[in-house]
Amino acid sequence: MHAIADAFVLAVKMIFTGNPEVYSITARTLEISISSTVIGALLFVPLGCLIYFNNFRGKRLLICIIQTCYSLPTVFVGLLVFLVFSRAGPLGIFGIMFTPQVMVIGQVVLIGPIVTGLTISALSGVSPAIRETAISLGASRLQSVWAVLKEARFAVLTAIMVGFGRAISEVGLALMVGGNIRGYTRVLTTAISLETGKGEVALSLALGFILVALALIVTVLANRFLKVKEADVAQSRAPTS
Amino acid sequence: MLKVERLHHSYGKAEILKNIDLGVERGEVFVTIGPTGSGKTTLLRLLGLLERPTSGHIYFDGHLVNNSERQRLEIRRRLAMVSQKPAVFNASVFDNVAYGLKIRKENGASLRHKVMNALETVGLSGYEGRDARTLSGGETQRVALARAMVIEPELLLLDEPTANLDPVSTSHIEKLVTEIIKKSDMTVLMSTHDMFQGQRLAHRMGVLIGGEILQTGDPREIFSLPQSRKIAEFVGVENMLGGVIASNTEGIVDIKLDGAVVEAISNLRVGEQVYACVRPEEITLARTKESTSARNTFNGEITRIVLFGPLARVELDCGFLLVALITKRSAEEMNLQIGNRIYASFKATGVHVIKG
Amino acid sequence: MKKILMLLLTLAMLLSLVSVLPACNEETITPSPTLSPTTTDVPPLKPVGRLTVATTTSLYDTGLWGYLEPMFEQKYGVNLNIISVGSGKAFQYGKTGDVDVLTVHEPKAEQDFLAGNYSSARVPFAYNYFVIVGPPSDPAGIKDMAPVDAFKKLITMGNVTGSQVKFVSRGDGSGTHAAEQRLWAAAGYQYADVEKSGSWYIEAGAGMGPTLVMANEKQAYTLSDMGTFISYKTKLNLTALVNQQNETLRNVYCVMVVNSTKNKTMANNLVTFLTSPEIQDLMGKYGVAEYGTQLFTPCAGQNL
Repeated sequence: MHAIADAFVLAVKMIFTGNPEVYSITARTLEISISSTVIGALLFVPLGCLIYFNNFRGKRLLICIIQTCYSLPTVFVGLLVFLVFSRAGPLGIFGIMFTPQVMVIGQVVLIGPIVTGLTISALSGVSPAIRETAISLGASRLQSVWAVLKEARFAVLTAIMVGFGRAISEVGLALMVGGNIRGYTRVLTTAISLETGKGEVALSLALGFILVALALIVTVLANRFLKVKEADVAQSRAPTS
Repeated sequence: MLKVERLHHSYGKAEILKNIDLGVERGEVFVTIGPTGSGKTTLLRLLGLLERPTSGHIYFDGHLVNNSERQRLEIRRRLAMVSQKPAVFNASVFDNVAYGLKIRKENGASLRHKVMNALETVGLSGYEGRDARTLSGGETQRVALARAMVIEPELLLLDEPTANLDPVSTSHIEKLVTEIIKKSDMTVLMSTHDMFQGQRLAHRMGVLIGGEILQTGDPREIFSLPQSRKIAEFVGVENMLGGVIASNTEGIVDIKLDGAVVEAISNLRVGEQVYACVRPEEITLARTKESTSARNTFNGEITRIVLFGPLARVELDCGFLLVALITKRSAEEMNLQIGNRIYASFKATGVHVIKG
Repeated sequence: MKKILMLLLTLAMLLSLVSVLPACNEETITPSPTLSPTTTDVPPLKPVGRLTVATTTSLYDTGLWGYLEPMFEQKYGVNLNIISVGSGKAFQYGKTGDVDVLTVHEPKAEQDFLAGNYSSARVPFAYNYFVIVGPPSDPAGIKDMAPVDAFKKLITMGNVTGSQVKFVSRGDGSGTHAAEQRLWAAAGYQYADVEKSGSWYIEAGAGMGPTLVMANEKQAYTLSDMGTFISYKTKLNLTALVNQQNETLRNVYCVMVVNSTKNKTMANNLVTFLTSPEIQDLMGKYGVAEYGTQLFTPCAGQNL
């Protein structure tokens, strides 16, 4: 218990005394995880829509595979990404091994199934009457899909947040393709892993607290953003005449 | 503006619509009536181009609606549909009503103006900021109506718009629809299982029973001159007395029932099996015989009296069952009790003869 | 309010996307303030590309690389990316060409690497000695024995139930792991048999630092290089029991330039740097003030 209390104090100290390395690691963690989440959302929410709204042979099988991939071990994905982007691998000419870029790519691959699958879940929670209503009011195919997506916006946002959670908290992939290089690819999770291995318990815990604090801030911001959209709608539509 | 030819529709093995032929003129209000499950909703969905019929043709303004998705979308943009239980988006009332305009790329001040007008027309001014999901049934229906109207469709499709509403809301909606119709030259195609509603609102009606259109015509025709027994039953002709035409003198026929004769107007021939249909409200009741001038007078025992609202439904056993509808006041004045013997009479002109 | 939040969000998105572009993400050379005590003040320089080094963990966990890194970066104006992995992995990265330079300490693997033409030279730059450490109580009683004899005793006693004798192996194909395996072989055992011989033999699959931490937790014996052991000593309750500085236990670190590197000049600069007199001198002095003893003995130019 002492260790945890000490760690908390240490975390606060590190943040407020502006320890530059902690700042740099934290900033890098955010950059990488937010990038992969944004890219993942832009790629995989539409993919989820595509799968949900079309019927094709093997659709159930595909969804099953996607759901299975929720549990993909991060080291496994890390290994696959490594094999692809290593100089000896098919995409080796880019030479991006051990860089933040390949970490983003890897995390996008990692959260892909989650964002896709949960988007599909979100959409299936919307009554089919919504899409029909949109169509009956003259919506084109795309417009009706957007109407359903908007209806499911909370659940879709959740899908994205879960993706973010996985991205920011994973270690295996970051270690394997990033190399935990100080000042370049070291992020909070890999730093925790390193310090734990060195027996620096308080430090590891402190970094862990910072990571949780980060996740909290991002979550709160995302939720507030949605709430603001709602309140704004109610406000600005008050009658003017 | 709308024509339907030989429309068939099945869901799997179940045949929902059989051989529908229909025509709706521009600016008219056409109401399909029929019992629940008769296919009214399916018909509307097909005409709203939400689904493709198993077979048959639909024409809009003389143009055949084919399989091209683009053409179907174009046509869909010229009509609007309100379902029986409308779904509202998880958004404000304003956003719901504005939806149709937004997808037609309208925005800004003109959109606001149209939406607020529409809300005013349906009596929901001040509701624009409310979460659409918190509305009552009647309010939801009105939002759906506003949502449909605001895009100024050429054809408005209403599927049982008051089926789930209380009488007060129902009359509000009916008033609204009437106003809307008056204000614009919108064509309205509506379905209902309430024949009285159909009578109130329609220019023309179609009776849909068992997936087939059994009769079309103006409400009076359908109501008083049903062409078949099924229709008659549905439109509330409670007295259908089966018999044979015994004589026909210049259009005045005598119909022989079991132990009674009914006089009616018809040009059917002697010997034909017929039903003499009398609407309950055409029957007058009296304690004594001579206070009526009707030719058809029968003496019977009251077996049942049901009071509802300002009316009284009285069942008589005259050797055959007769159901009369009189005002509650009259029933009280005559002091009708079960077991009383009274006289029921109706004019020959009040009898509608259909082939049996 | 909504507009501001939207703006912030768009900004965040743009920022994150921009950061992903390779051209925009060359990190500046920052001073080396680490999370642990050692700091050196080096002003940031304009970045000019990077050199990737795969190093054995014992050079990293002692903090030597952390110490040398900013000096090299400042002198040559390049970003040094150090990846700390076991020697086995380092050689693998060298073969696939994902790193430019290796600093390793496994003689046989180094020879194979040369033979396979993955590198043209192995350049020794420092050495220390392996040491067998263990619990101060020394249940196996191996203090001051010859290393091979000590290993024989360990495996014998390890198999005796209730003897409290445990051994934690690196188990990660590293240079230290290879040294440990050489000792087992010298003691007359097939390594496969050692692995199977019982629960007293624990394979950590980790770097030197974490392995020492685990050995400490379990109060077990382990083979460590002197440098890492000394730098971790204050955190551990383990003693150096077999500490003979002879050839059997000598641990030579060498640097090898990977032939397929795209950065040959800079890679050779690193070799020059590590073998230069000033740096050799600094290496020799590294840790003396803090731990009271040398962690590494410089040996550039010697045939080791």
